[in-house]
Amino acid sequence: MDDLGFIVGSYAVTLVAVGLFAWSVVRRSRRLAEQVPPEDRPWT
Amino acid sequence: MDLTPRPVADSGSRRRRRWLPIAVLTLVIAAGGVIVTQFLTSAIDYYCNVDEIGAKDGCEAGRRLRVQGVVDEGTVSEDGTATTFSISFGAVSMPVRYEGEPGGIFKECIPVVVHGILEDGVFDGDRIEVKHSNEYKAENPDRVAADDGESKGSACSPSA
Amino acid sequence: MTASTATTGRPDRVTGTPFTRALGIVTLVGVLWLSWFGLFVTPADVNQGESVRIMYAHVPGAWLAYLAFVVTGISSAAYLWRRTRSLTWDRIAGASAEIGVLFMGISLVTGSLWGRLTWGTFWTWDARLTTTAFLFVTYVGYLAVRNLGGSHHQRARRSAVLALLAVLEIPLVHFSVELWNSLHQEASVAGNTDVTMDGLMLFTLFLGVIVFTLMYVWLLLHRQRALALQDLVDDTGLDLAIAARRAEVG
Repeated sequence: MDDLGFIVGSYAVTLVAVGLFAWSVVRRSRRLAEQVPPEDRPWT
Repeated sequence: MDLTPRPVADSGSRRRRRWLPIAVLTLVIAAGGVIVTQFLTSAIDYYCNVDEIGAKDGCEAGRRLRVQGVVDEGTVSEDGTATTFSISFGAVSMPVRYEGEPGGIFKECIPVVVHGILEDGVFDGDRIEVKHSNEYKAENPDRVAADDGESKGSACSPSA
Repeated sequence: MTASTATTGRPDRVTGTPFTRALGIVTLVGVLWLSWFGLFVTPADVNQGESVRIMYAHVPGAWLAYLAFVVTGISSAAYLWRRTRSLTWDRIAGASAEIGVLFMGISLVTGSLWGRLTWGTFWTWDARLTTTAFLFVTYVGYLAVRNLGGSHHQRARRSAVLALLAVLEIPLVHFSVELWNSLHQEASVAGNTDVTMDGLMLFTLFLGVIVFTLMYVWLLLHRQRALALQDLVDDTGLDLAIAARRAEVG
């Protein structure tokens, strides 16, 4: 059924897009953190 | 003392990054232009209602229009490759002829927007869009089982 | 959303805190709950059939994109106001705009899938769709402007002014369906006094809004901290360059 692909696809697009963004944010900050001493992170 | 930033070891990646925002900005401005042009060249009002044809500015017969109306009950028929039906809005009805099978969730008693030209009293449509309302109701499982989703027996609900 | 251990200072929890980790877990549970309700528990719509299920992903995405852009606007105003001027506001503005663009993009894609199923077309130049596309493009431009270079405060001032202009588009997008004849349906819940929606559908829609809000907060905290790290690294690079030049001159 055509509809099914579209419906599941819309949920998949949402979750994959948010997941990829979250993953890239975490990955990029890990790289940056190697150059920043932990005491410069006010949130920890 | 000269404090101007100097090329550092990783300047390659930095310089590569510098043109990216400019390229994106150029694209953004181009896209913005396209969007505004599309908005201004296609009518700002997406459609005319059936009763506005010939009455409202920009809704004249003989020019290309998008017309909204509710598909009249019992008027949908297929002859050969074309589908004919009539749509009405505000007590005015208009026959429509459409080449092909309407897509979407097309059926009787729902509002649709037809693209085309009104010629000799018949609206010659080449594109149909179903304008579903903002009412959401659970499908009644009993009725679906009874007539497989066709709402032949049910009364036309006044949704316009 | 990060697999991590409890050791402080470990690289795998750079931008995370115990709070964001708990938030991440709650968000994941919420996503599962929403998918389960949206895809299986809620009934099909009398007109739209099964395709109404796309609403639970599409509508919250659009709302949270609006919210994200409003947060960008407020943070930008807070930066521009002398008494609250801080680069933290600027980074919140930038992080929020990124997430807003993400959510708006998602909403455009899910909306076009929904449109194909119900209207019969992926895209059309209707008032709501056109203004939404323009809003999306505006904020992509905002993000590009943030990356044009210059000092942190130059970046902040430039983008804050742009953000205050861009946020004015949001009412235009929201009311476009009432200002003009539009193919897009009018607002079903927001600003509508008599909501005509099945109870379970309405509940799931609100669940969607909550889940998307949790996702937004999680992403905003992490992204904002990542931007702070980036600024620190840039500053450190500049400090090193200045020190090197001093050493040469001296």
